Amino acid sequence: MIRVDDLTVAFGGVKAIDALSAQLDAPVCGLIGPNGAGKTTLVNVLSGLVSPSAGRVAVDGADLLGLKPIARVRFGLRRSFQTEQVVEDLSVWDNVRALLDHVPHARGEAASQVARALSHTGLLDVATVMGHRLNLFQRRMLELAKSLVGAPKLLLLDEPGAGLTEQEAGVLRRTIGAVHAFCGAQVLLIDHDVDLIAATCTQTLVLDFGRRLALGPTREVLDDPAVRKAYLGTE
Amino acid sequence: MNASILEGAMPVSDAAPAALAQAALAQAALAQAARRARRSLVLMVACVLLIGWAVPWFANAYWIKTLTSSLALSVAAAGVALLYGQLGLVSLCQYALLGAGGWVALRAGHGLGWPFELSVLAGGLLSCVVGMLAGLPALRLKGLYLALVTMMMAGGFQVVVNVTGFPDGGAGWLGRVFGSERLMMPRPALALSDAAYFRYVAVWLAAVLALIELHRRTRAGRSWALIRRGEAAAVAAGVNILSYQTWAFGLAGFCAGVAGALLAGGVGQLDGRAFTAGESVMLFALTVVGGVYHWAGALIAGLLLRAVPALLTDFGVNGYLAMIFFGVALLHALITAPSGIAGQLMGVVDAVRQRFAAPKDKDAAP
Repeated sequence: MIRVDDLTVAFGGVKAIDALSAQLDAPVCGLIGPNGAGKTTLVNVLSGLVSPSAGRVAVDGADLLGLKPIARVRFGLRRSFQTEQVVEDLSVWDNVRALLDHVPHARGEAASQVARALSHTGLLDVATVMGHRLNLFQRRMLELAKSLVGAPKLLLLDEPGAGLTEQEAGVLRRTIGAVHAFCGAQVLLIDHDVDLIAATCTQTLVLDFGRRLALGPTREVLDDPAVRKAYLGTE
Repeated sequence: MNASILEGAMPVSDAAPAALAQAALAQAALAQAARRARRSLVLMVACVLLIGWAVPWFANAYWIKTLTSSLALSVAAAGVALLYGQLGLVSLCQYALLGAGGWVALRAGHGLGWPFELSVLAGGLLSCVVGMLAGLPALRLKGLYLALVTMMMAGGFQVVVNVTGFPDGGAGWLGRVFGSERLMMPRPALALSDAAYFRYVAVWLAAVLALIELHRRTRAGRSWALIRRGEAAAVAAGVNILSYQTWAFGLAGFCAGVAGALLAGGVGQLDGRAFTAGESVMLFALTVVGGVYHWAGALIAGLLLRAVPALLTDFGVNGYLAMIFFGVALLHALITAPSGIAGQLMGVVDAVRQRFAAPKDKDAAP
């Protein structure tokens, strides 16, 4: 469960997030908003790349802001970036293994954990292929596979479906939907693809100019006139 | 690896037969990749040892000495390649670290009478520590600025060594001889002749290259790869950038220190005037020309540094002309061949291998 209280992030005079409070407790939550709404800033605060000016953030009751970024990874926080970060000259297997190197796991369980993550994301048959040989869909799935090892608690997926075809997005959607059942982790999904959000997330937070515009069950949020006006546009 | 890589990951009764078949295929591919990696490591060590064994049969005394220096400098070049190839870091103080390692080895050899191997390790460890300290600015600086800072350090070492000189068997902390003959550092008992010492240095080179390769293929190498990909991505993967960058600088420093000690053992003493900041620049440039992504690049860099000027001199051409060739080669490497001569050679080897493998594949096809 993610709990944010009075979170403010200011860059000079600009408030990217302004006194945001929210509690996200669904297994898969969506985070949407127009460009510049503060979505990626919120993810950066959660992962420790940006320090807030004020406020508190807790995940499963643990104060995140007291942890350094790499301690958050050990705690169970995973994130993917808008631009995928596959290492070109490492194999698919080693790309996943590289993350497992830095998180707690039982001795002798590394191979089975990596294999399980690759199997869940459909990449087991390309385990020995080098990163530079992967297509965009495989890269996106590899980013997801990396997030699944080492007992994750929270996955922050920043536009994981960017650039994918409809069919590929469908596979991604099913895979993300099955993450909670796979490893028990909560997912916070940021994407402009409202269909992806609607199909995957049961709870959605909408930001606009760094403020909370709406929070609730995804269907209700997407039908909210204020959300439609700010994010989806009006006819 | 376990009987099945999915063993323990999911109950067998829950796993679909297709998933198990896929796991079996993946396991076979992984086992094959691991075998290939082991084979290439053994091949690398065998190649270096073969060079060490074969060259003294063909080379005369002059060339054995020259190539001994080449192999010793290859050890230092391997460290430079590690920093630049694995992390993209430009360190222009590696030749100074080589000098520092040589200084400690000479001091330990003359003053303390340590066995040669221990002196070499002492030189390596001192340079490892200094290398780690030299790498601290890398946490804030990159590219040109890091290059400049490390080159200043090399300049500082140049000044210090010009004043203090290298130990040559005298008393006191500096170990300098005044008014009597300078002593030569004793070589190890099993490598007293030049030919034997060449083979001895080849063994050290093989060991250092193996050490670096083992780093590259395990946790350290994967962490370096993540840092190279981007610091944000590395942090998001839980990599402690400070530790892994410092470790890389330490390992590169160790290589330089070992190289300095081996050079000291080859000649018996070192000359302070030979450790200018410019030599660090040359070591870096020729390592890039040799290739930073393959172990053979370090070997080629060593040859370029010592053997090519000697070859020109052998042909009656001024050895300094080599600088012009090196400049052209560096431009070539930077513009068209970032993987260096070693990368190009490996490209040719791969092409030949694929050409010979192709008919077999065709035969195997239904």
